[in-house]
Amino acid sequence: MDVLAAADDLRRRTLVEMTQPLERLIYLASTRDYNTGLYYHHGLALRFSEEAACEALADCHREAFEELVGASLEELVRGLEAYLESTRVAPNDFIVAWKGLEPYRVAIPVGIDSLSSELVFSNLKVALAILEARLMARTKPGASRHPSPVQ
Amino acid sequence: MIGLLLYLLVGFGLLVILWVLARRESAPVEGCGRQFVEARQALRTLQLGLLPENLIQRIFDREDFRYVMAMSPGEIGELFLQERKRISLMWVRRVRCEIRSLMQFHLNYSRLHARLSLVTEIRLALDFALLLLACRSLRILLYMRGPYGAGVMVGVLTAAAGRVCASSEKSLAFLNPPELESFRRDSAGDGAAI
Repeated sequence: MDVLAAADDLRRRTLVEMTQPLERLIYLASTRDYNTGLYYHHGLALRFSEEAACEALADCHREAFEELVGASLEELVRGLEAYLESTRVAPNDFIVAWKGLEPYRVAIPVGIDSLSSELVFSNLKVALAILEARLMARTKPGASRHPSPVQ
Repeated sequence: MIGLLLYLLVGFGLLVILWVLARRESAPVEGCGRQFVEARQALRTLQLGLLPENLIQRIFDREDFRYVMAMSPGEIGELFLQERKRISLMWVRRVRCEIRSLMQFHLNYSRLHARLSLVTEIRLALDFALLLLACRSLRILLYMRGPYGAGVMVGVLTAAAGRVCASSEKSLAFLNPPELESFRRDSAGDGAAI
């Protein structure tokens, strides 16, 4: 019961700002400890309990991933573009980092079937290529002055 | 003399058949639990991971193809087709693997625990044969014509896989928790604790 209430609270207060499932996926993955696989959210843990908060975050993480699996490529490109805008990182740097590091690979919830995750990775790869081509067409000389994080 | 030889040959043939039947190994009871767990896992993977309609639709959706071709044909179009082909081949490979696991379970153990009618068994055997054939044909089609050249075969494969899953579900129904719950409720009335 606590978990449902915590998940509802999380959706209403925090996730409501994030309209794209990709944005939610990355955010929720960032609340997970790499070493333990447990999710932690200070405010939610204070309001409910650490266990309930962890479960709620995991549920919302899976939910965001399922949305991403069901998204068409067009929706994914739109989501990626919106996410890029929300990060306020130079588009070129973002593309280079995402193509090189593939950070989405560590943003997958645990216990997901490998085929679903491979489908999402594959779609993101194509979406990135489309976005890159679109950005190149839009601003040819607009390359970033920052050093590239991934070479 | 010829008649005697004929009778001797028939008799020898019958003895050979008897010997072969006697040597056939019956399914060992030990390890059955593992087989059940594996079959249950294969069934769950098929039902929840590989055969959901929205996932299959997503993999073979032509809208994505049209979108990519409209947005950026050429290099990105090729990348998309390459990726979708890889994913669809992975899907067929996984379905085949899980189907084989279920087939192995049915071949070895299900008769010991679940009574299936002869008609159901024949239908199941035909479905397994059809599935393995469909998997092979689909792989060839995907290699040759890409992810959008095998729509009918995808339909055949998913329909047959659905039937096999439904039959397997019946065979493995006793492992489902609700039945255990009712058992627990029934025995609680007599004061027995489980």
